[in-house]
Amino acid sequence: MKKVITGNQAVAYGAILSRVDVVSAYPITPQTTIVEELSELIASGRLRTKFLKVESEHSAMAALIGASTGGVRCFTATSSHGLAYMHEMLHWASGARLPIVMVNVNRAIGPPWNIWSDQSDSLSQRDTGWIQLYCENNQEVLDTILQAFRIAEWGKLPVMVVLDAFVLSHTSEAVEIPPLEEVDQFLPPYLQEYAIDTREPMTFSVITTPEYFLEFRYKIQKAMEEVPQIAKKVDEEFKSRFGRGYGAIERYGKEGAEVLLMTSGTVTSTSRIVIQKLAEKGVSVAGIKIKRFRPFPSEEIYEAIRGAKKLAVIDRNLSAGVGGIFAQELRASLYSREERPPVFGFISGLGGRDITPELIEESIRYTREHPRPEEEILWLGLKR
Amino acid sequence: MSKQIQFKGASEMPEISISRGHMDWNKTGAWRTQRPFYEDKTAPCNAACPAGNDIVSFIQKINQGDVEGAWSLIQEENPFPGVCGRVCFHPCESKCNRGQFDEPIAIHALERFVADFASQRSKKVEKISTQGKEKIAIIGSGPAGMSCAYHLARLHYPVTVFESQTLAGGMLRMGIPSYRLPKDVLDREISNITSLGVAVRTGVPIGEKIQVEALNDYQAVFIATGAHLSRGLKIPGEKGRGILSGLDLLKKINLTGKAKVGERVAIIGGGNTAMDVARSVIRLRKKATILYRRSTEEMPAFEEEIVEALEEGVKIRYLVNPIGIKEKNGLKRLECLRMELGEKDESGRRKPEPIPNSNFFIEADSIIVAAGEEIETSFLPKGIGKREGIVLTQMDGRTAIEGIFAGGDVATTQRTVAYAIGSGKKAAMAIDCYLRSKNSEEAIRQILIGDGPSLSIFRYLNPGERPRNSHIVDFEELNMDYFEPSKRQGEEKRPLRERKKGFGEVTSTLTKEAALREGERCFSCGTCNECENCYIFCPDASILMREGKIFHQVDYDFCKGCGVCFVECPRRAISLEEEAR
Repeated sequence: MKKVITGNQAVAYGAILSRVDVVSAYPITPQTTIVEELSELIASGRLRTKFLKVESEHSAMAALIGASTGGVRCFTATSSHGLAYMHEMLHWASGARLPIVMVNVNRAIGPPWNIWSDQSDSLSQRDTGWIQLYCENNQEVLDTILQAFRIAEWGKLPVMVVLDAFVLSHTSEAVEIPPLEEVDQFLPPYLQEYAIDTREPMTFSVITTPEYFLEFRYKIQKAMEEVPQIAKKVDEEFKSRFGRGYGAIERYGKEGAEVLLMTSGTVTSTSRIVIQKLAEKGVSVAGIKIKRFRPFPSEEIYEAIRGAKKLAVIDRNLSAGVGGIFAQELRASLYSREERPPVFGFISGLGGRDITPELIEESIRYTREHPRPEEEILWLGLKR
Repeated sequence: MSKQIQFKGASEMPEISISRGHMDWNKTGAWRTQRPFYEDKTAPCNAACPAGNDIVSFIQKINQGDVEGAWSLIQEENPFPGVCGRVCFHPCESKCNRGQFDEPIAIHALERFVADFASQRSKKVEKISTQGKEKIAIIGSGPAGMSCAYHLARLHYPVTVFESQTLAGGMLRMGIPSYRLPKDVLDREISNITSLGVAVRTGVPIGEKIQVEALNDYQAVFIATGAHLSRGLKIPGEKGRGILSGLDLLKKINLTGKAKVGERVAIIGGGNTAMDVARSVIRLRKKATILYRRSTEEMPAFEEEIVEALEEGVKIRYLVNPIGIKEKNGLKRLECLRMELGEKDESGRRKPEPIPNSNFFIEADSIIVAAGEEIETSFLPKGIGKREGIVLTQMDGRTAIEGIFAGGDVATTQRTVAYAIGSGKKAAMAIDCYLRSKNSEEAIRQILIGDGPSLSIFRYLNPGERPRNSHIVDFEELNMDYFEPSKRQGEEKRPLRERKKGFGEVTSTLTKEAALREGERCFSCGTCNECENCYIFCPDASILMREGKIFHQVDYDFCKGCGVCFVECPRRAISLEEEAR
């Protein structure tokens, strides 16, 4: 069944179809309508899910950590300052190996006060041990949530599903809603290995001496290293069942292009048009969409860029003092490789400014015209 | 503590650090500096009830769906819930904390509901054995006398009540019209008392055939003869024909269902008797005009009575004082002076002062005087002691004569049914103390509700049960986060036209649904009603439950004394005290 729904409604559908047991969330623009949709369904009795009202995002995540330890499927959604407020609990969720799925609607972090799209919020949490998956459209949002629970519960790691504020969260698109019975087949009920059992009391995440702490971190890294394989299998199964697959990255455009443009989120959709138009004019350019940011898809990217002369990255985020975070991650992943094409790191669209086709075209032109970037950070559309 | 497992490396280790041991050894309660504990306190309604009804508890019983349990609880203190639910001036409602939030609980309506519901289920009290105890005589079968008889019977004393009239009930039967208090309600509650074994000898006026002094057989006597003599106006022409006292008229109507009065009836007075008379006159299809020497502000009649009287067509003329009555051809001419209000007098009301030369006349076919009542003194034994028109008593109801007690209207100027019921109850305890040589004043102090003067005979009979701190919970101590405004459930009134046709009851008893809705509105000030807020909020899981219910005990091994339970209790049923160092 196809429905015209907003990105936030797609999120709610994803959670409903996943038969989440517990939702705990605190409202924040632009995430609010997700929580409204879910809480109203729960209050009306149509959704048999426990909704825990809390006074902050920190508590929302803390509540889910408790619930998830109890062995039930947990979901939350937040954005921007809300996500930042959760920071401590994000580490806890991953350290305790809890398969919580959270949606983050990308929004800039103030000041200056701003409610529009920007990836600084989710990327600030890149070291918290969460898997991060970025979405390009509303269909992908819904599908990614279903996949996220499978990946999380298989890999015993929490997953953050990310979508752009307003461009997706509040914009309606036609979305195929998969039938619940089909989703049930794809996503079986969650079974926890170490669920709380009052008949056999245990203490979870007890203090661990230096003797073993390193080993626990090693195990989390190993779990992260298994995610690409798990995610690949999940995506393949999803594709065979529902006809849609996404991969960790997606290379699009003609083969053997000299310039490759990397984007994430909704900028990819605009880039697809620009690249197609330029290719028709004979420009040697193709695109790479990065869906999975954590664990970083180094292998997949390296396979996709072999033979390319130059790499351009548009970052809708800024790590002040360094530059765009995707560009940095890409540079780091290439350093030990044989082929190391120059990386042109563009920064654009912060705080919700549109990344127009003209700006994208400008970034491709600059990359083509320069053998190497003149500066570490290339600002697109900056009013100097 | 549990033993530690050694791992060679990561491959042997679980995903997360888990201890099969537990933290029970770590008694975090040791960190506590303040201690919460369950302690029921006194609700303002309960303290304000002269009859000592445990209002919060009986409403809780209603809310639990146990209306008969509610009836039994009221009966612990008061054998007249059907009467009080109808005619009490409900001071409980003026003190109700909910009044500061939206509207007070309709406590009187709930009490009436409980009484009527219990009677439908033929809720009867059982006869109590009275072997071997001292005999007690009670003079007067009004609310004070019958309340005293009831509680004495429950204390296993054989009681005889002497009543001068042919039927028991005193002022409840003679003075209150049946459109406010139907006779079957009164009969039902009196019969509940007599079925305990109380003997009522009607038609025996003490002071005529038998003197108080002749009641030698009895080890104690309680005088509860009320105040039923009309206080005269002391004006010329007052003794003429066709001039009646209000109480005499009401008594006639109550006993025979009818009375003869002229077409236009002037009623002098501003109290409840004046209202009862005026509204009865309307029901006799005559015109009623009340003449009152002060203004509406000072009127001692209950507001609802005044409102209903006006609805029914009673006219009230304020600031009018009769100074003489003249008669001409059967027509009465009432000479009056117009009044104005001066300074406040000793009653706290503004004193009416005549306006010179303002004389005017009011014509009437009948004149009824209802300007207050006095006590009958002729039969009182010598040396009993009187002051300002009432029998003088100690705090416990003792008179100057050993073994003789007095209560109700004869011994107070606070002439309400609820007060009479309370004073009868107190006298029953005082008589028990006297006969058992106990210090009654001390006993009374032990069982005061709040600061008194209301008291609980349940506590006298069952020391230590249902303990309750005498602290009266005020509005500021409640947590209003847990309440939403809701409409007070009123009693239905019969249509005006039907009301005026006869002496049928004006208001009807709440339906069960309305009573439950009203009961739900009760804040339950100071009394735990198992809302479980403490249990939900306690961060240390230290609120103990037993069989799925709040156990009213705190696990002090782990309670860190944060006080969340104390703050989140909507009704101050939890106290917090500093931990002894």
